[in-house]
Amino acid sequence: MNRSPLSGSFLDALEAVAAALWPVRLRGATGWLFIAPALLLVGLLLIGLGYMLEYSLHELDLSTYRLQEAYTLGNYAVLVDQPVYRRVLLRTLLAAVLVTAITLFLAVPYAYVMVRTPSSMLRKLLLVALFLPFFIGQVVRAYGWLIILGKEGIINSMLDAVGLPAMDLIYHYPAVVFGLVQYMLPFAVLLIVPAITAIGEDIELAAESLGANWLQAFWYVLLPMAKPGLVGAGIVVFTLTLTDFAMPEILGGGTTDFIASSIYDSFFQLSNAGLGAALSIALVTIGSVLVAIVFHLAGAGTLGVRGQAE
Amino acid sequence: MTERLIADIRRRTLLKAGTAAAGALAFAPMLRANDKPDELIVRAWGGAWGDALKAGVADPFTEATGIPVRLDFTEDNEIKPKIWAAVDQGRVPPIHVNWDTSTNATISALRGATVDLSELSNLEGLLPLSQPVGLDGYPLVNTYAYVYVCAYRPEAFPDGAPTSWDVLIDPAFKGRVALYDDGIGFNPIAVIAGGGTLADIPDNMEPGYEFYRKLKANEPLLGEDSDFTTWFQNGEIDVACTISVNARAAQQNGIDVQWTVPEEGCKVDTDGLWIPKGLPANEEFWAKEFINFALSREAQEKWCSLLGLPPVYPGIAPPEDLVGDPSYPTEAADFERLVSIPSPVLVENQPKWFAKFNEIFQG
Repeated sequence: MNRSPLSGSFLDALEAVAAALWPVRLRGATGWLFIAPALLLVGLLLIGLGYMLEYSLHELDLSTYRLQEAYTLGNYAVLVDQPVYRRVLLRTLLAAVLVTAITLFLAVPYAYVMVRTPSSMLRKLLLVALFLPFFIGQVVRAYGWLIILGKEGIINSMLDAVGLPAMDLIYHYPAVVFGLVQYMLPFAVLLIVPAITAIGEDIELAAESLGANWLQAFWYVLLPMAKPGLVGAGIVVFTLTLTDFAMPEILGGGTTDFIASSIYDSFFQLSNAGLGAALSIALVTIGSVLVAIVFHLAGAGTLGVRGQAE
Repeated sequence: MTERLIADIRRRTLLKAGTAAAGALAFAPMLRANDKPDELIVRAWGGAWGDALKAGVADPFTEATGIPVRLDFTEDNEIKPKIWAAVDQGRVPPIHVNWDTSTNATISALRGATVDLSELSNLEGLLPLSQPVGLDGYPLVNTYAYVYVCAYRPEAFPDGAPTSWDVLIDPAFKGRVALYDDGIGFNPIAVIAGGGTLADIPDNMEPGYEFYRKLKANEPLLGEDSDFTTWFQNGEIDVACTISVNARAAQQNGIDVQWTVPEEGCKVDTDGLWIPKGLPANEEFWAKEFINFALSREAQEKWCSLLGLPPVYPGIAPPEDLVGDPSYPTEAADFERLVSIPSPVLVENQPKWFAKFNEIFQG
């Protein structure tokens, strides 16, 4: 290997520094060193959750607007006793399921075409179309939909131009689901593309040579092999939708709040950090349980993470 | 002998120098107490609200004192926990002056987060409205009154302004009515519109909740100040309960909207200014000076005229376009059509009203 004298000296110096900072006797812990930043981040998150759990066990004193000293499950009792929180939670969960299903349904063919197309121009076009939305924040996109779908928006203007009556396209639940699908699609595609890329095209050809048509090869061969990507994309889209705030707030018209809005209202509208914390803990618990169930059903290796022995 | 004299002189010199130094150290804070800060940060609402504060108070204050004023547009509900946390933790709060609803300000006062403003010189001679209700002294100062009017698109009401809040539950306007998303400004009015009376508030809000159930069936939009402007501008709504400032600003920007006080009345409330605890002495001093200036005739006249709201400084004439307007009460008779709920009652009951409002509209 040809190596310039300059880069060789630099690498030698780097190795010397590394050897000084991380002596040979610590080499066995090198793996921990690499994951230390991630552990720190997760640790901070867990500490924050710990504080939230602590807050959730104190009710608000309306005479001082401070949390009472006494420990109580009163905030959790509110979540159970007041039907509005059940309704909002069910609405959020339903949206998460719908958005996940619709997004995966749209993302799989998009990812497939992007990977399998022989046209590099088409692949680039699909990539650009996928990445462009990332340059625009969720809030801006939501307001963009208001302009397109509003009573005097582009769609209704076109309808009016052909003599059709205006339609109610925003400020309801379907508008929120639509906005979320549009927002989540790039995430799902990006997670499914590596899974499809890892499946050689010759495998589909082999299936077709054994008598399967294209649809059968897609359904019986490609999709099962792409399961890690599908499960990963599904989990990401599901959890992001479960915790979304902006889309329901902007496209929902104020009457289709998700659980994140309820949490916001508790902290900021009601100044009730205890209730807000209880809602947050409930959300984290429900989300974690559901993801754990998915992992259990799909298998521990479902995201393609396997130990050395496998 | 000479050595002893020299030692005495040195000791006296040392003592004098030490005394002078101690004196300087003791007096320095007092001299620094009025040092001008680099800037004053005032939390404000955006749009027409912030523009009015800037033109009516902030810019003239800067001209008079040389201290730049920066407006912080963090939402009033969002700045509250930040200030409270800073006060509790002994840190410097993120703002110097909070322009806030009197209800929110009362909550902060109950929490012990506000500085007393009793010694402000311009409190003298203000209308009684300026004094906070249910609190000792002046942990906040009310600066003007405002009314939650019935704003409407004239095009949707060819026969004239709506005369009753029943317009909100009229099926002809299904999906084209709007309220604040926490019921603020309408909760007590809902009771009256629902067949109850003032005496029912706050112990029997059921007539109001029944009105809300009917309103829910009419598919209202729920939002904040900026949403109402957008909705009127985009033709999404025909009628809304909103603050007169927003309706007037929309009108001044060319949006076809007018407002009225229906037969059931409208809620009247106040906003105020307060200073969080924990500021350095000199910054607290100048923050008080800012509020004191905001209470002067000059500032009240310009600020409240731009907002189109009746000030707490007496004897200021309303803007020309608001003379005789029911949303700009000046006489006792004007206030008879308006519903005022004391801040302590709002502080205690708004969480319960909001919970019920939420239960009805999120169902």
